[in-house]
Amino acid sequence: MDRKKAALIAGLTVLLAVLVFLFFHSGGRERLKESEGQGASSSEAKTPPDRATKTVRLYFPREEDGLLVPEERQIVADPSLAREAEEVLAELISGPRGDFLPSLPAETKVGRVFVLKDGTAYVDFTRDIAEKHPSGTEAEMITIFAVVNSLTVNFTSIKKVFILIDGEERETLNGHLSLDRPFLPDYSLIAKR
Amino acid sequence: MPKSRTMIAVLAGIAFAAFASPFSGAAQRQTIVIDPGHGGLDVGAKGKFGNLEKTITQAISQKLKALIEQNLAYRVVLTRDKDIDVSLESRAALANNNDAALFISVHTNGSFRKKARGSETFFMSLTATDEETRRLAYMENSSAKLDNRIADENRDDIRLILWDMAQSAYIKQSSRLAEEIQFELNQPPLEILNRGIKQAPFKVLTGVACPAVLVEVAFISSPEEEQNLIKDDFQMSIAQALYRGLAKFLRITSPR
Repeated sequence: MDRKKAALIAGLTVLLAVLVFLFFHSGGRERLKESEGQGASSSEAKTPPDRATKTVRLYFPREEDGLLVPEERQIVADPSLAREAEEVLAELISGPRGDFLPSLPAETKVGRVFVLKDGTAYVDFTRDIAEKHPSGTEAEMITIFAVVNSLTVNFTSIKKVFILIDGEERETLNGHLSLDRPFLPDYSLIAKR
Repeated sequence: MPKSRTMIAVLAGIAFAAFASPFSGAAQRQTIVIDPGHGGLDVGAKGKFGNLEKTITQAISQKLKALIEQNLAYRVVLTRDKDIDVSLESRAALANNNDAALFISVHTNGSFRKKARGSETFFMSLTATDEETRRLAYMENSSAKLDNRIADENRDDIRLILWDMAQSAYIKQSSRLAEEIQFELNQPPLEILNRGIKQAPFKVLTGVACPAVLVEVAFISSPEEEQNLIKDDFQMSIAQALYRGLAKFLRITSPR
């Protein structure tokens, strides 16, 4: 009897141990997955060393003529095109590292990017993109085409870009170019040399 | 639905422009619509010394209005004659409702760049490839036949297309108007850097059913040009250049 009881207790103990192990093990994996998901949209510093990176080209205006000049950056590779596009825009907002000017107000934050099958990318910015903007046609053209060109150059499946502000359609940034339809890239605004 | 009402007004304006003017053109004076950029809460770009784009565009527009009324047999309508907010769609609709012969929007430029200076004249560009198709559809259908051909459930869409594409039928003339105006801005006594003529999808030009341009006369974001822009004689030289440019355009394009 005692031996049966002992075997039962041992069996239950092993089962419990297995369950406890599974509980913590699987829980741990979920946490790991979650932190990977966050890593994709945060900065390079938090990137685990084994994550693949991708070189992208961002566009900033230069002082002499306002034409856009490319600057290369590393972003974390992500299976999702939209997440990579969000990273590109966050890097664009962070401003130039070289001797160029910003393309959009530094206070701006990028929200979600959605890419439709027809190649239209919907990109959402906080209202700072308009409210902190210097205003004027040249400034609006620089902001809009730095965003559009930086996306179409790095992602061949993005053909045109629709800009949203605080999740909604806006008429213009500050009274000039129409935001109520998508923009095709304008490579004539990129410096030749 | 103020938006759809505006669109109907615009549609009426287009129909009027297309059918009424050839028969009644000689009898009544034609209209030029001048659009002083921004206004009211929308101050436009700001200069380093605190001058506002909306004030300067209004001053130049009023001088231009006076010059046209003195020298040409045209009626002039301003989209605003005081410091008030006027929506971009209303500005275009005003041109269409007055069967305007010409629309000119006056602005001062602004940039991230400290050194940015000069003048440039814009006309409308079409932004997306599918718009080319819509433009052709617009131009192939005369507005009178449209209502008969299109099933009822699609009529609102068609109005929207007409509203969107009104300017696309005038792109060539608008380009010519931009050339004439930019040429004059580059003549003495003005010594503004010539940035040429350009195309961009301006909201205010989209629905205008006549030759239409947007002029950036100089950069208010440049301290040097800001100081010029507030001077009465500089504003007058700008107005005179705009006047010469549009007068030459009218001379070349009007059948009389």
